[in-house]
Amino acid sequence: MKSKPLKLTHVKCCVCQSDDATPVGVGEDYEYHTSADTFLAVQCAACGLVYLNPRPDISGFEWIYPPTYHAFDFSEKDFGIVYKIRARLEAKRLLSWCKDLPIDARILDVGCGDGFHLNLLKKYGKETWTLEGVDLDKRAVEMAEKLGLKVHLGTPETINLPKDSFDLAFMVQTIEHVEQPSEILAAIKNALKRGGKLIIVTDNTDSLDFRFFKGGYWGGYHFPRHWNLFNQNALARLAENVGFEVADLTTQVSPVNWVYSIHNALVDWHAPRFLINRFTLKSTVSLSAFTSLDILLQKLGKGALLRVILRKS
Amino acid sequence: MKNETPIAIIGAGIAGLTAANYLHKQNVPFVLYEAGKKIAGLAASFKDAEGFSYDFGAHFITNRLAAAIGVSSECLLVKHYGEAVYLGGKIYNYPFGLVKIPRMTWSGIKSKLKGNGHAPESAAEWFRRSYGAALADEVALPLIEAWSGAKATDLSAAVGESLPGSIGKTLYLKAASRVLGRAVAIGYNREMPEGANVHHVYPEKGVSTLCEKLAEGIADKIKLETPVEEIIVENERVVAVKAKGETTEVSAVVSTAPANILAKLVKGTNTLEKFKSFRYRPMIFVNLRFDGRGLLPDTVLWFPENEFPFFRLTEATLSMPWLAPEGKTIITVDIGCEKGDEFWEMDEDKLSALCLEHLTKIIPGAKEKFLGANVLRTPIAYPVFLNEYEAARKDFEQSTGIENLLSIGRNGEFAHIFMEDVYWRTRKKVRNLIENF
Repeated sequence: MKSKPLKLTHVKCCVCQSDDATPVGVGEDYEYHTSADTFLAVQCAACGLVYLNPRPDISGFEWIYPPTYHAFDFSEKDFGIVYKIRARLEAKRLLSWCKDLPIDARILDVGCGDGFHLNLLKKYGKETWTLEGVDLDKRAVEMAEKLGLKVHLGTPETINLPKDSFDLAFMVQTIEHVEQPSEILAAIKNALKRGGKLIIVTDNTDSLDFRFFKGGYWGGYHFPRHWNLFNQNALARLAENVGFEVADLTTQVSPVNWVYSIHNALVDWHAPRFLINRFTLKSTVSLSAFTSLDILLQKLGKGALLRVILRKS
Repeated sequence: MKNETPIAIIGAGIAGLTAANYLHKQNVPFVLYEAGKKIAGLAASFKDAEGFSYDFGAHFITNRLAAAIGVSSECLLVKHYGEAVYLGGKIYNYPFGLVKIPRMTWSGIKSKLKGNGHAPESAAEWFRRSYGAALADEVALPLIEAWSGAKATDLSAAVGESLPGSIGKTLYLKAASRVLGRAVAIGYNREMPEGANVHHVYPEKGVSTLCEKLAEGIADKIKLETPVEEIIVENERVVAVKAKGETTEVSAVVSTAPANILAKLVKGTNTLEKFKSFRYRPMIFVNLRFDGRGLLPDTVLWFPENEFPFFRLTEATLSMPWLAPEGKTIITVDIGCEKGDEFWEMDEDKLSALCLEHLTKIIPGAKEKFLGANVLRTPIAYPVFLNEYEAARKDFEQSTGIENLLSIGRNGEFAHIFMEDVYWRTRKKVRNLIENF
């Protein structure tokens, strides 16, 4: 399905405001086919940030996130064993981030989608914790509310979050989607207590999957929904610009970009549907195989995702 | 940049508009001078009453360029692009079809085995060494001579050095093109890497679509029908431009004028004197309209043998079917010439009759299918890299010699560059200009 063209906006690097950037990838919406446009990813010469330029205007938000978008309904019913495994791994990760939190901790999930992570904390975390989410999409908010979660519709900088009140905030695969990362980080910093932490997980452009597929098929591009993609340097600079202290910066295992890079290449090379379907979020075999590969790469410090722990000092 | 004195841009073609668009986004003041009645320059498009479209100049646009400018949704996919060579009455696919001719393959292998000695001193030497004597003497050199109007021994080796790619990569991209069902760009951009996902597209309404997009929001800064008459230099810096008799103070000049004309526009210095001798090849393009499609074996057909007055035929509808009404086609005939020679002076009817006469040898029944013709003549189609000014050309490649005077675009750079190259190179040069202010 080819659809209407989007209104596009030209932008500069959101980390260093430079526009000295080189094209690295060109491609289409290989997953949802939401627009008739071809998109260009460029890399900033100063900080290494990879960003979509031009990118869809924010007015096209609902168009580029169709109702079938996976973050709106990542359910056990639809994703079966993959859901179960991911839920277990993510719960383990989340709880490790929360291990030093006080009994009455207040936790914020920014870009919570359908409430997947908050729901895990609700299930496996302490009952005394206060859990809140924020998401820009009303469909996602509705899904999360169905799980009994408290979710704000909007973005951290527009919903008047209370000052100095959260112990922990996290953005799991969210920062790459947002329009103004530094403004969101500043709003979160304002809402965190002194000593509070913000944990960001996002696609890593200093990875082997990026190097292999950066010409256009890389899953992390997620054309045209990922607007800013980081390496360690760019992410640290962004955080420091906002006034956060970088407590830890490392990589994390994920098979998703490997699987989707192959998926996108197969779509573009007109591979048969049964083969393409072997490389989606529902394909356990390819997800397992690339998890194994990424575990090895993680040991070399080159996992597919970046994870940074920031502290408000 | 704090300076409020504007930068003058000369020429509102794709290069000038790319520069203007960039400065506009940086909030740097500028004025864009255009001699013609409208924008687009070499990237202008025409559509006649019968539905035939003609673009004047560059035809190679990639999906990457369209995406960068933000016009990808206005472009259509070019599914196929191919070239062939007419040799001894037979047609060979270019480049790999020529391998079927044993003497060409053999001399190619021999030249590779021989290895390199000193640096080649001319285009003739470069091609014989790189392709072998047979392929060079029978195909490459006659084409280069017809195209440039100069002897291959008088042309600089840089003519060859600017040609693209390895055989392995070309084979891969050709295979990708076939499997993917789209014309993967092979050798049509030099600034950015090639790949299976970088392919040709073409705006449905012609190449001027790109110019119109770049010109969005800057209409008040474009002065049409205002040719710049002088660029005034003092102490080796541009200080002003003169247009329509009026002198305007400027902080820099970004020119798209042909290098030899730029050299003549500059007053107050001798620095550009050596660029006045640069030559451009005049060219005549005869667009012949026909009933039918697929009259040529491929989009471009090259003629290295001198039995024809032209060296290239192009049936653009084989790549861009929407450029002519269904069941009809346009064949463009390229004739290299000199200003004032018999072809240059020949009237349109005679030129089209001459072309048609020759085309009947290649297209049976061409005269019966013929619907009409029009002719475009340009005195500055291609830069000619003569050895006699090679040192000056290399200097010009680096800079105009005046710090705040840039020369950009295909004619302005005096270089064999394509549309996407023009875009990226212009942005880079203009960025450096304002950063160094």
